[in-house]
Amino acid sequence: MKSYDIIVIGGGMMGTACAYYLTQEGLKVAIVERGDIAGGTVSHTDGYIGASEKQPGVDSMQGAASMKLYDEMRKTFDYDFEFSENENGDPIGFVYFCDSEFEFEKAKEQVAKNQALGIEQYAVDPYILQQLEPNCAKDLTGGMWVPKDGAVCPFRVAFGFVEEAKKTGLLDVYTRTEVLDIKQDPATKAVLGVVTDKGEFAAPKVVNAAGCWAPFIGAMVGLEVPIEPRFGQLTVSEKTGKITQNRLALEYGYYLTKFFQDGERPISPLVKAFNVCLNITSDVTGNTVVGGCRLFRGFSIKSEYKIMQAVAQRGIRYYPMLKDFNCIRAFAGIRPFCLDHLPIVSDVEEVPGFYMACGHEGDGITLGPITGKLISQYATGKPLEFELAPELAWARWHDKDIPAMKAREEENTKALKAVEEEVIRSLSK
Amino acid sequence: MARIDDEMLVCRCEEVTVGEIREAIAQGAFDVVGVKRRTRAGMGLCQGKTCEKMVQQILCQELGVGPDQVGSTSVRPPVRPVSYGALAEGVF
Repeated sequence: MKSYDIIVIGGGMMGTACAYYLTQEGLKVAIVERGDIAGGTVSHTDGYIGASEKQPGVDSMQGAASMKLYDEMRKTFDYDFEFSENENGDPIGFVYFCDSEFEFEKAKEQVAKNQALGIEQYAVDPYILQQLEPNCAKDLTGGMWVPKDGAVCPFRVAFGFVEEAKKTGLLDVYTRTEVLDIKQDPATKAVLGVVTDKGEFAAPKVVNAAGCWAPFIGAMVGLEVPIEPRFGQLTVSEKTGKITQNRLALEYGYYLTKFFQDGERPISPLVKAFNVCLNITSDVTGNTVVGGCRLFRGFSIKSEYKIMQAVAQRGIRYYPMLKDFNCIRAFAGIRPFCLDHLPIVSDVEEVPGFYMACGHEGDGITLGPITGKLISQYATGKPLEFELAPELAWARWHDKDIPAMKAREEENTKALKAVEEEVIRSLSK
Repeated sequence: MARIDDEMLVCRCEEVTVGEIREAIAQGAFDVVGVKRRTRAGMGLCQGKTCEKMVQQILCQELGVGPDQVGSTSVRPPVRPVSYGALAEGVF
C-alpha cells in the first residue's frame, strides 16, 4: 500500500492549493480526485479575486491575506494563470455600481469599515465612475472602487498549483479515483488513510477539500458538515475587446444579496425571481463574461434559458452597448455555501489528523491560496498566517444545531422557488 | 497512421496546436473537457464545432483508447451565437 504524509481529498481550488503549500513544507502529498483536476466548481465560475466582496472582519482579512499570496505566486509560478494586471503591473481593480441611494449608503458604510481595517476602497460619485468605466450607464447613483482587487483564470490557478507542486517531486495525483471511506483508529478516531475505488492509501493526515461534496467526506468520519450547493450561472460573449475598461464590474446588489436583503432594487420580476445580479468582466482572452445569480438547485448545473434572459437584461442595464454583442455560451456551477457564510479551515479536534478546507461559497478563487497556506500551517504546527484565522475553525460548529439550520434553509428555498414559479406563470400568460 | 505534426493548428478560434494538446495530455488531461480547460481548444466562437472530433482523435492516439473513453464537451446553450439584446427580450 502506498503511504503519504497527508492525503488531500478533492482536486479543485482548495485541494490543489493545499497540495501546493503542503509540498512546500516538505510533506509527501497525494491528491485523490473523483474526476479531473479543476473539474468542479473551479471550472464553472469567473475569476474574481479580492478583499472587497467580503464582510468586514475575518472575511475581508482572509481575502487581503490571500491577495498577498497571489502577488507572490504571479512572481514565482512558471505556469501562467492569467493574472490580470494594468500597465503598471498592479491588479486591475473592481468597480461596484450603486443604482439607488440605499445601495450607495450601504456601500459607504462598507467602505468606512474596511478602510478602518486597512483595506483600500473608495466610494465614488457618478463623475468619477464614468472616468473609471466609460461604457457604463450614465444614470447611476454612484459606486465603489477597489483598486487592489483583480482577476485570474480560476482553473489555470488550480492547474498551476499542481504543476508547481509536481516540481518538488513530492506530489502524486490520482484522478478518476473516488474516495469510498476513511480509515480510522477505532480507539482514538485518528485517521489512518483512505479507501478508494482504485485501492487503499495510508496517511496519518487527511484533508477534506471536497467543496460542495465535503458533507459526504465529512460523514465518513462522523461529522455533519453544514455546506450546501448554491447555484450560479454565467454567460460568455464573443470576442468583444474591453467593454469593461480593464476593470471588473459588479452591481452593488451582488454584494447585498449575497449576505443580506437587497433593499428593493428597481428590477424586473424575472431578474428578481432568479436573484440575478450583474457581474461582468472583459478578460485577457478578449471575451466578456456576464452573470450571475444565487439560487438553490440541488447539485444540478444545467444552464437555464430564463436565467440567461435575466442576465442579459441586467447586463444591458449597466452596459447598454452589450445588446449588440453575441452570447456564445452559458454555463452554470455550484458554490459550496456554508450556512454561516464563512469557510471552514482548520484541524478537527474530535478526529485527530483530519482537516477541513471547504465551504468557500463564491470566494474560493480568492481564498484558495490563504486556505492552502493555513492548512499547511495547521498540518505542520506552525503559527497561523493571520491573527483572526482561528475564527474560521471547525470548532465554531460544535454548539450549533446544524439539522435545524439546514431545515430553515430548506424552508427558505421552498418559499423562493414558489415566488420564482409564480413569476414564470405570470410571464407566460 | 503517421504521427501528426506538433505545429498543426487544431482549434482555429483559439489558435491551439496539436503540440499544446499533447502537452495537456502529458499533464494529466484524459478527456475532451480536460484538454479544453488546459488549452482553450473548443472555447471560441464555434464552441468546438470544428475541432472537437480532432481533439478526440488526438486523445485516442496519445492514450491508446477508443472514442467512447474520451467524452465530448458539455451541452450548453445557446445552440448558435445570439445577441444579448435578443436574449434580454426573450427571443428564442
